Amino acid sequence: MGIERRNTHPIRIVALLILVACLALFPFVVTNRFYISLVNEMLIYGLLAMSLDVLLGYTGLLSFMHNAYLGIGAYVVGLFLIHVSPSSLWLAILTGMVVTSLISLPVGWVQVRTGGLAFALLTLAFGMMFYTIVWKWYDLTGGDDGLMGVPHPDIHLAGIVLGNSGNPTAMYLLTLCLVLICFFLTWRIIRSPFGAVLEAIRENEERASFVGINVRRYKLYGWMYACMLGSVSGALFILYRGYIGPTTMSAFAGAGVLMMVLVGGMGSLWGPIVGAGIFIFIQDYISTMTEHWELFV
Amino acid sequence: MTTILSTKGLHKHFGGVLAVNDVDVEFQSNCLRSIIGPNGAGKTTFINVITGKLSASSGAVLFGEQDITNRPGHRLVRLGICRTFQITSIFMGLTVFENVRIATQSRLGGSLRIFSAKESLKAVNRKTWKILDRLGMETKADVPSNNLAHGDQRLLEVAMALAGNPKILFLDEPTAGMSPAETEHIAKLIKGLTDTIAVVLVEHDMDVVMSISDEITVLNQGSVIAEGPPREIQNNDLVKEAYLGHA
Amino acid sequence: MHDSGTNRILEIEDLHAYYGRSHVIQGLSMDVARLEAVSILGRNGVGKTTTLRSILGLNPPRKGRIQINGEDTTRWPTHRIVRKGIGYVPAERYIFPGVSVEENLRLAAKPSADNDAWNMEKVYNHFPILRARNRQDGSTLSGGEQQMLAIGRALMGNPIIMLLDEPSQGLAPLLVYEVIQPILLFCIQSGLTLLLVEQNHRMALKVASRHYLMDIKGKVGQIATSEELMADSEIIKKHLAV
Repeated sequence: MGIERRNTHPIRIVALLILVACLALFPFVVTNRFYISLVNEMLIYGLLAMSLDVLLGYTGLLSFMHNAYLGIGAYVVGLFLIHVSPSSLWLAILTGMVVTSLISLPVGWVQVRTGGLAFALLTLAFGMMFYTIVWKWYDLTGGDDGLMGVPHPDIHLAGIVLGNSGNPTAMYLLTLCLVLICFFLTWRIIRSPFGAVLEAIRENEERASFVGINVRRYKLYGWMYACMLGSVSGALFILYRGYIGPTTMSAFAGAGVLMMVLVGGMGSLWGPIVGAGIFIFIQDYISTMTEHWELFV
Repeated sequence: MTTILSTKGLHKHFGGVLAVNDVDVEFQSNCLRSIIGPNGAGKTTFINVITGKLSASSGAVLFGEQDITNRPGHRLVRLGICRTFQITSIFMGLTVFENVRIATQSRLGGSLRIFSAKESLKAVNRKTWKILDRLGMETKADVPSNNLAHGDQRLLEVAMALAGNPKILFLDEPTAGMSPAETEHIAKLIKGLTDTIAVVLVEHDMDVVMSISDEITVLNQGSVIAEGPPREIQNNDLVKEAYLGHA
Repeated sequence: MHDSGTNRILEIEDLHAYYGRSHVIQGLSMDVARLEAVSILGRNGVGKTTTLRSILGLNPPRKGRIQINGEDTTRWPTHRIVRKGIGYVPAERYIFPGVSVEENLRLAAKPSADNDAWNMEKVYNHFPILRARNRQDGSTLSGGEQQMLAIGRALMGNPIIMLLDEPSQGLAPLLVYEVIQPILLFCIQSGLTLLLVEQNHRMALKVASRHYLMDIKGKVGQIATSEELMADSEIIKKHLAV
């Protein structure tokens, strides 16, 4: 009389392992820096898109400018590395996560009082607000110029230095590890009792309320988790690039993230990652074409 | 017979309209009370105010001795006040089992567990199966609820309300749009519930109302005009006048 | 154009209507002949309003057939059904707010070459109070005045059949019996066919000649004439009381 656990299908696990192995070996096979960075970027945005899917596909909340939280995370990590400690990689990432979560708390608190369209519009409003703050606060963020010259700390684990975050291959592998950890974590959470509550809220908020769920509170938890994941993608972003500017936090970029989720498929977690891959590939491909075009003209 | 829930001087305005006008009702345990009334009587509004879907304009809702007026719906569920809706309100994208399971989980706890699989909450699973068995839905556990027939969807909603471990259950037109066979089935089931809990029924099907109710409260234009067992209500002149119109 | 020599203005055959999956009308058959005034009587919740909505195409039937003046209108869009000549007076009246009495009437006008056709002058003659308030915002009128306006508006379309959903609802008895009832009787006399839905049977008995007594889920319990109902009060009680 039990319910079958649908996740332990052997073929799926093998396929996943093969995929992970391919991704891990990728930088050693394709040694071109550019392509390594490209796939790195795909993974980073894949993580951001996945966090948006937690909101959209699982809780039923549309966030128009989720990239704002990638941005905030990136800026916090960057500022930490510049002003506090240029060598503390993990502390920087942790600080990024904590500060972003603290910022997302009051924003979320206001937003969860609404749902549907109103919620989406509020996310847009807050997103634009953050963009404007970042753009105007020149002394802190470098305004339009962005945050430049962010140091590249060493990647160390248990006292051993594994590489430097300025090295594309090392950074790529760090990104892959963290994205996989976040993916696995999110996958567990979605299948947990907590995840079931989020799904119920997506399906029918009123009914969720009347089976005893405090809808606002759980929406807030889902929101903060999604923003925290966004900040991890932000940390990875600035560690790999050494630079962050307000364009990453623009409404245009925000629409891009949303498209990644929609193209890849809401509600599957891995779908948005694929969507991000496709989106960034197309973006890159088109800009290459244009470049070549201009060369010929 | 103890009074589980009562309203005292309950009022609800909508702009200029007084939908619920100074209503005092006592709901007893193990009693099936139907609320009936002609057009615009305020029946569903009354239920909505009690169950926290709407706020009261004035007056009180008392759960035992506790004043629960204007408490939000999800908190009332925890006290044991559960309900179904006039238009079926279930989790359409989830299976029958999951619909009841999440309702059970909300009541028994475990919603903050993020690292275990939701299937691992043993007590929740046990209780979910018990409820499905009681309603005769155990064979349909894996069916996506949007594939169910209308009558089964409404049964499912009752199951979800029962998962909240209610002391009092409010059912808003449970037989709406059901075939005669489905109607009979659910009426029997609802009557059986009064072994353990109080049940309040808003219904338009008078055959059902008269056959299973212990007590009937008649509302007309927001006010209580009569209360009593079915036989009394059928012979009550005020009730007749309300339904048949003035002389 | 269909031959309108048929005697039946409205024919409903085995109607099944749903709200989503909720089967709210489970097999209704009825008809209204030319120049007849027919009522559907029943408690609230039995499906009276849904029946009217199905006729008007606001709630298209899942099964069954509706014919208006001999033409099958079952799947027609609402505007097309209304253009066939249906005047509808809904229970909530739906008077256009922000618009004067006169404009409410003018918006609904459908001129007819007939000498006896309904026009604004004729409506004002029968509802003098509307003439007195002709520039007033329609939504500021009293309940009874709004009902008069709703009926007048329906008449302005010069319909072949009028559907009225609980015209007496929420109105003081004086208004019902002194104003609404006479106007409806006049409509019938001037060649209009009427289908009336009511909980209040007293007016329905005076205005309509034949009555469908409806029970839960649209089931017709009995069909009776006004004489039969007045002779035996038990029939009414059985279907309208509890």
